[in-house]
Amino acid sequence: MRLLVCFCLSMASAISCFAGDDVRLATTTSTENSGLLKVIVPLFESKYGGKVRVIAVGTGAALKLGENGDADVLLVHARPLEDKFMAAGFGSVRRDVMYNDFVIVGPKSDPAGVRNMRDIIAAMKKIAGSGAKFVSRGDESGTHQMEKRYWKEAGIGARGDWYLSAGQGMGQVLNMAAELAAYTLTDRATYAAYKYKTGLQVLVEGDPKMFNSYGVIAVNPQRHPGVNARGAVAFVDWITSAEAQRAIAGFTINGVQMFFPTASSRSSLSSILPLAAALERSVSAKGPTFFNRPSLVSRY
Amino acid sequence: MSDWLFAVEGLDKRFGDRVLFKDASLGLEAGSGYVLVGPNGSGKTTLLRIVAGLEPADGGRMALRAQSVRAPDYPESWRRDIVYVHQQPYLFRTSLQENLGYGLARRGLPPDDRRARVHDALKWAGLTASIKVPPDKLSSGEKQRVALARARVLGPTILLLDEPTANLDGVARKQVLDLLTELCIDNHTVVIASHDPEIIRLAILNRVRVSGQRITVDE
Amino acid sequence: MELLEPTREAFRLLLTGDAQLWYIILTSIWCSLAALLLISPPAIAVGFVIAKVTFPARRTLVVLIQALLSFPTVVVGLVLYMLLSRQGPLGFLRLLFTPEAMILGYMLIAFPVLVVFALAAVQGADPRVYETARGLGASRVHAALTTLFEVRFGVMAAVFNGFGRVVSEVGCSIMIGGNIAGLTRNIPTAIALETSKGEFAQGIALGCVLIVVAVGINAALAWAQGRGGLE
Repeated sequence: MRLLVCFCLSMASAISCFAGDDVRLATTTSTENSGLLKVIVPLFESKYGGKVRVIAVGTGAALKLGENGDADVLLVHARPLEDKFMAAGFGSVRRDVMYNDFVIVGPKSDPAGVRNMRDIIAAMKKIAGSGAKFVSRGDESGTHQMEKRYWKEAGIGARGDWYLSAGQGMGQVLNMAAELAAYTLTDRATYAAYKYKTGLQVLVEGDPKMFNSYGVIAVNPQRHPGVNARGAVAFVDWITSAEAQRAIAGFTINGVQMFFPTASSRSSLSSILPLAAALERSVSAKGPTFFNRPSLVSRY
Repeated sequence: MSDWLFAVEGLDKRFGDRVLFKDASLGLEAGSGYVLVGPNGSGKTTLLRIVAGLEPADGGRMALRAQSVRAPDYPESWRRDIVYVHQQPYLFRTSLQENLGYGLARRGLPPDDRRARVHDALKWAGLTASIKVPPDKLSSGEKQRVALARARVLGPTILLLDEPTANLDGVARKQVLDLLTELCIDNHTVVIASHDPEIIRLAILNRVRVSGQRITVDE
Repeated sequence: MELLEPTREAFRLLLTGDAQLWYIILTSIWCSLAALLLISPPAIAVGFVIAKVTFPARRTLVVLIQALLSFPTVVVGLVLYMLLSRQGPLGFLRLLFTPEAMILGYMLIAFPVLVVFALAAVQGADPRVYETARGLGASRVHAALTTLFEVRFGVMAAVFNGFGRVVSEVGCSIMIGGNIAGLTRNIPTAIALETSKGEFAQGIALGCVLIVVAVGINAALAWAQGRGGLE
């Protein structure tokens, strides 16, 4: 009898080894809010034979979890921070995954008059000068980093009664913008998926500077031996595989594609390049871009 | 009812199924002292509380001087004239002076006047030496004396005392008895519920028997 | 995780009068104190009445109010949000994302706490207190005040409890206030923000500041209480 129990236990543990331990995926609230993960994670889980635990927090917190070894793999969209992360040796491998784009949304009445502008920097200047309210994430997230870069390029120190630094996630910031009839910078996917945004419209889009690139990083097991390195690398390999990239491209909200796959060849460690330049290259090299597709403003 | 300072007529009071008073009556003359006697549970305390307005009567009429009301009404103004002292009086958690001056302050007396009257009250109670003692540290006898002084300083029309010497013996009891005697002599209208034989024996007190759902004055 | 340095830095900012940090602290203190000052008298009065007056459905009311103690503050925030939002019935007040709205939320959160504790304090009072006061000619209101004075430690505990509950809460503050820098950001929402940024040590440092502030306020209240009356 005892022999039978031991045999069953060892078989069970062998099977679980075979099946794969949980993979802890730390990602941003924007990514989670878009709904993409609900679609693609189950595809990975059936391939891998184990569960993925998605931890959605702010960008900074997600990277911190990686630093501390509290997550096995990261999916974030803050390139400079990702590069810092890799340079410090916290990650073993990083790959490009996809990009989506940011848009400026604001009240239908558009007090600053930026509707249909193609130049994000000029649009931000106009908003700042108009006295209309602008709500910022204010939380060092990927979105916030983008926003800060725009203000810097526009030469504007964003502060004053019109500038509300909310320190919250994208959903709440959209809420606030709708409530206060204010402008804000948001990723298209979160905006499309978010229900409570009456009165807001997409007003500025299409500037290549608004493209938002996602990276997947496997946490370095040499720093933290407890991480599920096998699962992490499996996830990195899978999300950059043709199957996953197709699934990402196939993800739509209201019939519109949200994310654009960018995983190139299977070499590890992308080189460090300025964001806009890298994206411009990938945009011109690949298929449909926001330049040559019909205007999406009317959809929202 | 016109000669009485205070009168109650046709009093009904019951607690649940227990009938305490049925069609009972009592008249109090100004300046007279009364002691309520009767077996335990006969309603001595309840009668005092009804007169004090702490307990509503179920039926009957009450009159203070010319003003007459039907139960269970009790005019707020009567509370200025009728003062009730618990069997084991409660002293507020503040100074002796504040306790003694409480009723005076409620009647709007300015602090300076209060101070003088409080000082007199302390002397009357024989407690000037204990002026700094927190009230909860006083003995039962001392507390009773404070309570009596606290009531007396208000110059009440009617003073209702519930078993003032219960739980007291020896010197403490003697001291309280002396104060009680003074109160009665001072021409106050006093009603004392008690089964203390020394109080019952006091000649100046009219004996009022409370039992069997009725109130009768002994001749 | 290095804790000492961020904590030291947080106290340095505190002592050198860093505007941002002090604004956060003052928002916390101002909103919490204002809410308590406004809601304490009615809440304590309600507690007193429930303790002293018998009326039909009294016990049901007590059960309901006690149940409110378990109500998550974020749900209070959500309900208030629905009322104050543009789409809501009180949207015309334009109160959303203002400190005034936070004060309103805190009043709602503190109310059941104050009622339950005041109720308990009054029920624990000697039953002779109210009657003694009445017997000496006090009006109902004044007799009530005297009773509350007699159980003042219990009443103060109610206020301390209410203060603690609102000065430390996050859910309602974020929903109603919006965590806007320089306007509705208080210590707990600032901690939430630092945490989402991955600045865990910063969050803890702010937490230490909150504890120091809370100790300071409670000590001041205790001192005032000691001077007010005999122990």
